[in-house]
Amino acid sequence: MPFSLKKATNLIVLLSLILFQLILISIQVPMGDESNYLEKVVFSVFSPIKHGAVSTFQGISSIWKNYFGLHKAQKDNQRLREEVFRLSQENNLLRNMFRTHKTEKEMLDLLHDLEVSVLPARVIGMDASNFWKSLVINKGSLDGVKKDMVVLDAHGHLVGRVVDPVTFKQARVQMITDTDSGVHVIPQGKDIPGIINGVGNGFCSLEFILATDTDVAEGDRLITTGKDGIYLPGVLAGYVDSIGGNITLFKKIKVIPAFKLESLDLLAIITVDVNEFF
Amino acid sequence: MKDIVRMILSVVAVFVLYTLLAKISVSFLLVVNLFSLIVIYFALEKGEIYGACLGAFCGLLQDSFSMSVFGVAGIAKTITGFLAGYFSGKINITPIRRNAIFLFVLLSVELFIWAVLYSFIFSEKVNTRGGLIFFQPLITAVLGSLAFRFIREPRKSKM
Repeated sequence: MPFSLKKATNLIVLLSLILFQLILISIQVPMGDESNYLEKVVFSVFSPIKHGAVSTFQGISSIWKNYFGLHKAQKDNQRLREEVFRLSQENNLLRNMFRTHKTEKEMLDLLHDLEVSVLPARVIGMDASNFWKSLVINKGSLDGVKKDMVVLDAHGHLVGRVVDPVTFKQARVQMITDTDSGVHVIPQGKDIPGIINGVGNGFCSLEFILATDTDVAEGDRLITTGKDGIYLPGVLAGYVDSIGGNITLFKKIKVIPAFKLESLDLLAIITVDVNEFF
Repeated sequence: MKDIVRMILSVVAVFVLYTLLAKISVSFLLVVNLFSLIVIYFALEKGEIYGACLGAFCGLLQDSFSMSVFGVAGIAKTITGFLAGYFSGKINITPIRRNAIFLFVLLSVELFIWAVLYSFIFSEKVNTRGGLIFFQPLITAVLGSLAFRFIREPRKSKM
């Protein structure tokens, strides 16, 4: 009965493939957000292709844009834009530092470190399962990128942190809108700490604010405190959108992230260790 | 061997296209499922085993570039590839309309399996982006049936 044998073989192959992937899923449970080896291998092999495709695309786009005579002006413009970008990021960090460091000497000591602490990177991929979970950037371990480094957008708003896998020239960034993300924040000018958690649909929630706390208001700017040991302090993470749930112990607070997904292109990776720096 | 090389090159081509589409607008990733098209195409050509294996590979590739659990899209695409190969041997799907309906049904099944697994594992709702994701089977099926026709026509005329 060769036909039945073929059918049985096909079924066995299908079941084996499903079983293999179920095992892959189950072994990830104790690993948390760490990637398994197979995932790292696939990511490492295909991320240079992604990088190459985006670079080629951008190269072709820029040839089109530069258009002969404007070539030099465009180049200078690009360089100055990146410089402005870097300086604005540095400015944001300095402003934050003014709040945490009192003496001029302390400021001068840290200034040198700051100069090299902002690494510009571009978004080369989005998360197909949910755009609000993660993205892939074109900077990796060869550029000095490490796990847990903080990532900001072009305006200095918090985007997320670097997570596994980090390859030589690419890395993945977990966004603050991911459901597994948590950021310690306070409403600006108020001493009411809370945790921003992603809810998976582009919004976040502000957790652990007591229902009796009446100081948090709609429109409040939520600023990182650095107390989570990952995110540097003083960065704008989001805005309070609506407040509800006074019948439970904690308020239900909806938060709009400060970064805009559609305009995420150039990012700033903060390469300093937050814990040592602040 | 020639088939394997063809498959690998097709996957790389689709991967590049998928990256570029995402660069233009992230919404493209929601409404067009290019990896599934390549899986179904090879399943129709080579049978259910090729479809299932390529489905597993493409799904895992897609998962490796997301924070999703590694294997969720893999399982959905494995089943899709297998079903495509299996049923194409039983039904005549050459006419373009029938082909589009066949693709639509398969892609809907894949989306359903993926959504169920995703919701079960993450205990969270799938982000439909205002219902845009529900257009994925329809748009992909229309594009796929047109693409399959364009690929197959020159081959037929060569024979």
